Amino acid sequence: MQGPDIPRLFAVIMERGVPAALQITFFGLGLGLLAGLSLALMRVYGTAPMRTFAELYEKTLRGIPVLVLIYIFTFGVPGLFWFVDPLSRPIVGAYVALGIRSAAYQSQIFRGAILSVGEGQVLAARSLGMTNFQAQVYIVLPQAFKIALPAWSNEYAVVIKDSSFASDVGVFEILKVSLNITASDPRLWLPAMLVVTLIYFIFTYPVTRYFGKKGGGMAQVGREIVWQ
Amino acid sequence: MSDIVLRVEDVWKSFGDLQVLRGISFDVAESEVKVIFGPSGSGKSTLLRCINYLDPPDKGEIYLRGKRLGDPDTDINKIRSRIGFVFQHFNLFAHLKAIDNVAIGPEKVLGLSKEEARERAMRALKHVKMDKWADHYPAQLSGGQQQRVGIARALAMETDVILFDEPTSALDPELIGEVLQTMLDIAKEGTTMVVVTHEMGFARSVADEMIFIDGGVIVERGTPHHFFTSPESERVQQFLHKLDELYGQTRDERRTIAERDQE
Amino acid sequence: MMSSPASPSIGPLGIEEWVGELAAGLGMTLYLYFTALIIGFALGLLLALARQYGGRISSRIATGYIDLIRGTPLLAQLFLIYTMPYSLNAWLSPDGPPVINTRWSFQLLGLTYLNFPILASIVALGLNSAAYQAEYMRGAMASLGTGQVLAAQSLGMTKHEIFRYVIIPQAFRRMIPSWSNEASYLPKYTVIATFVSVEDLFGKAKLVVARTFLALETYILVGVVYLILITIIARILDKLYEKTKIPGL
Ligand SMILES: Nc1ncnc2c1ncn2[C@@H]1O[C@H](COP(=O)(O)OP(=O)(O)OP(=O)(O)O)[C@@H](O)[C@H]1O
Ligand SMILES: [Mg+2]
Repeated sequence: MQGPDIPRLFAVIMERGVPAALQITFFGLGLGLLAGLSLALMRVYGTAPMRTFAELYEKTLRGIPVLVLIYIFTFGVPGLFWFVDPLSRPIVGAYVALGIRSAAYQSQIFRGAILSVGEGQVLAARSLGMTNFQAQVYIVLPQAFKIALPAWSNEYAVVIKDSSFASDVGVFEILKVSLNITASDPRLWLPAMLVVTLIYFIFTYPVTRYFGKKGGGMAQVGREIVWQ
Repeated sequence: MSDIVLRVEDVWKSFGDLQVLRGISFDVAESEVKVIFGPSGSGKSTLLRCINYLDPPDKGEIYLRGKRLGDPDTDINKIRSRIGFVFQHFNLFAHLKAIDNVAIGPEKVLGLSKEEARERAMRALKHVKMDKWADHYPAQLSGGQQQRVGIARALAMETDVILFDEPTSALDPELIGEVLQTMLDIAKEGTTMVVVTHEMGFARSVADEMIFIDGGVIVERGTPHHFFTSPESERVQQFLHKLDELYGQTRDERRTIAERDQE
Repeated sequence: MMSSPASPSIGPLGIEEWVGELAAGLGMTLYLYFTALIIGFALGLLLALARQYGGRISSRIATGYIDLIRGTPLLAQLFLIYTMPYSLNAWLSPDGPPVINTRWSFQLLGLTYLNFPILASIVALGLNSAAYQAEYMRGAMASLGTGQVLAAQSLGMTKHEIFRYVIIPQAFRRMIPSWSNEASYLPKYTVIATFVSVEDLFGKAKLVVARTFLALETYILVGVVYLILITIIARILDKLYEKTKIPGL
């Protein structure tokens, strides 16, 4: 038997690991976008109970390690995703865990963005006779999305990086395939980890760099959004 | 009377414990220009927001051409599309070019086609002499230009009446003139207007009636001639005197600086 | 080795008898957190100063370090550190005894407080946190503007004195709100230690699940413990901010 080498490792990561990581990122961010935007709208325009709910949701999901969430949605409730093929259940658990966690952060991002559009423009839209819904769709959200872009690109980086936690529940993403394929040859462990690190960097740095520069009301220096 | 466009009837409004409006009533006739003034915090902005139900009054009624706004079967958005509003801080839509700021109302609210809406918007921009700036974003325009776009946005809706809330008070002195000129022009064309302003020159030249509000009530009302020759209440006299001190002085200063520049 | 439970369930959760284990795990989590936070703070301050006030080369290096760390997962960074001695041993001495020993451990009162996996976790967390802390500190330094530095220079202060008396005292206060984010973010990420078999809170939770099969109860309980921990930390930092606030700053 021939041991693996670095080019083969690279190929396997690209064939199996990267698609899985991107899948988790896509669904995690997507779910987070839908839920996060709804939460943000609840916080800005909702009734008092809605606001309390959204706030509580944010606080809770921001206070629990994402690995714990992944475990809850995979091993914690084994039959939760009975409708998907058993082999895919861990990755679906990872989407959901990363998605509902991302929702808490995206809610903050969009709330800030919506607020920074300013009440004046909403008043102006309403005084033209627009409904609340029209004012959101035509005036507030287009601007909010633009303002949120730098912070949102940061959130993308957070999710793709944290998709590596799914390796612990048996999802063959970048880290897991690398550890598996080199398991029998310790000489390759370190080079493999260098490759893994490099690949993540390729997927995060250009994106955050490009969109981070596109002005907006937010600075995204850290793991999460900071308002200035 | 058939030519009453807007009727404000005994409007009351409070925010928590703060009673802001305590029974305001007046009528605005077709082509009339009504100027409302009074000290800061007297409730002028609140009154205008009550008129188009952005802040529904606690008590009292607003009628637009006889239609009661508070009626359960009144579509308030339809009514608002017939009442223009020009804001102190312009409130232009920051993500839209001047032309789209003006066109979005006719297109999305009145249901005009995109082309019709843009055509109408262009006419409105020409009206306020901003057609050359149609493709600029609000951030690329001066305050005076932004406010003229704000006026065009109201004009393009072809409303029954336009409400102005201190349209020049956020502007640098040298930009006030162009906005006042635009307002004078549309007033002379017969636009029905309710204007909250402290620009007494504007009031003097086009107001049909002036209303002085303080403490949420109408303290005194009358023609400009009445206010500038024989105001009755002491509060009005004091207020006009203060305005004169403030604005008159700055106007003198402006003149001296201009004269100095010429030398 | 733990003995198996005497009675199947002694409380509503059924994992009450494992509370001692979980508490020990929490202790390890806190230990990882504080050591990493301190290392991150010291290194972060150096990075921030290098990036904001350093020469061209040192500011480039600091920027590169920060970008690299922020652009890659903490978990990959941990494995990079953790696999290093094993790989080196395999290369340097394929069949002989290892060149780098990974089997050492230090104990105190019967508790292991340092061995190779713990060290690797602390180093990974510390190096990682440094990059984020540096950015928060730099943000605070940048917000000071140049006016005060000019004023200090005009008083005849040296560069060192300007750092010591003008920049750092203000930057520290200004950075508290954003730095709090990092301080309350880090505890969650100490779970990476589980991946290299350190028995932190989450590692212990996995152990409990393996023995009791009460997965949902255990993971939710542990999630709540993290939540409480982070809430407490955030509260403390809020208090600190209120205490050190300067009007207008
Ligand atoms: N939404 C609100 N909630 C609470 N209080 C309000 C609200 N809007 C206005 N007020 C208060 O009502 C009072 C009147 O405000 P308003 O803006 O109508 O005054 P104004 O006459 O327009 O003053 P200015 O000349 O400063 O614009 C003020 O004391 C203000 O603080
Ligand atoms: Mg006002």
